[in-house]
Amino acid sequence: MNSIILLDNEAVQALADKAHSKHRRVLNEVLVANRRATRALSFGIAVPAAVRVEAGWDRTAAAWAFVNQLRIADIPLDARHADAAASIRQRAQVSVADAHLGAAIQGAEADHVTVITSDPRDIQRVAEGRRVDVVAI
Amino acid sequence: MSPDNDVIDRINALLDSTDPETVNTSMRIPKPLREAAALAVSELGVAPSATVLAANALRTLLEIVVREAVLERHFEANPELRPTLADLAIAAAELDGSPLAQQPELIDRAAAEVQRRHPGADPEDVLLWAEAVESCKANETAEKGAA
Repeated sequence: MNSIILLDNEAVQALADKAHSKHRRVLNEVLVANRRATRALSFGIAVPAAVRVEAGWDRTAAAWAFVNQLRIADIPLDARHADAAASIRQRAQVSVADAHLGAAIQGAEADHVTVITSDPRDIQRVAEGRRVDVVAI
Repeated sequence: MSPDNDVIDRINALLDSTDPETVNTSMRIPKPLREAAALAVSELGVAPSATVLAANALRTLLEIVVREAVLERHFEANPELRPTLADLAIAAAELDGSPLAQQPELIDRAAAEVQRRHPGADPEDVLLWAEAVESCKANETAEKGAA
């Protein structure tokens, strides 16, 4: 079983800022998922590039040092994801970041996709039927 | 042990490296383990080769270890953020999509009870306990209703 956790904008913001009201919650999700990962063949945490832009996450800025160390991979907005995200945005009428999140969900190679988000309804819309577990923060 | 920030950054940089150079190692692994890996590759198709399987497994493990170390450093610097067993059980319930996530008081009680009897319990033990408590309660209610 391989699995991936994707973060939306607010999950990124919450993880980065210890004063954020949801910081502890997202930390706990990451901690539990990471400990469970020892039972999996493959596990990752990732953020779509458009979500990172929306969250203001600049990997070169000192303010993001803690989150940078957590090995959260970028999902680039390459041609394949851009095409998929453009279509999702048209159909679901969501933001560019959520459309990229949808493209990442639909294109994920992992058997098991989980999204940590403050907006579960949008995630189900952009997943467009792809099975995804949603953790609402 | 909480490692130095520089050590974490160095491990992360090495894990991110795209340097294609490989090295022959003199690492000795148990013979049965090597044979099991070879069989998993040839018969189960888990990876293109035993070398890739070993490298991927090592990478996954190192990434897990680094995250755990980073989080531990964060909790040492901010002890008020260190989660309790009940906090972790709620997170586990949320990750599983379990309705128990909506019952924090039940989880609190279950965590306290489990921890008292099994100090090394993990979040999944708490969820199992809480589910058992709920199940017993439902059965008792059904029996009273039937009586």
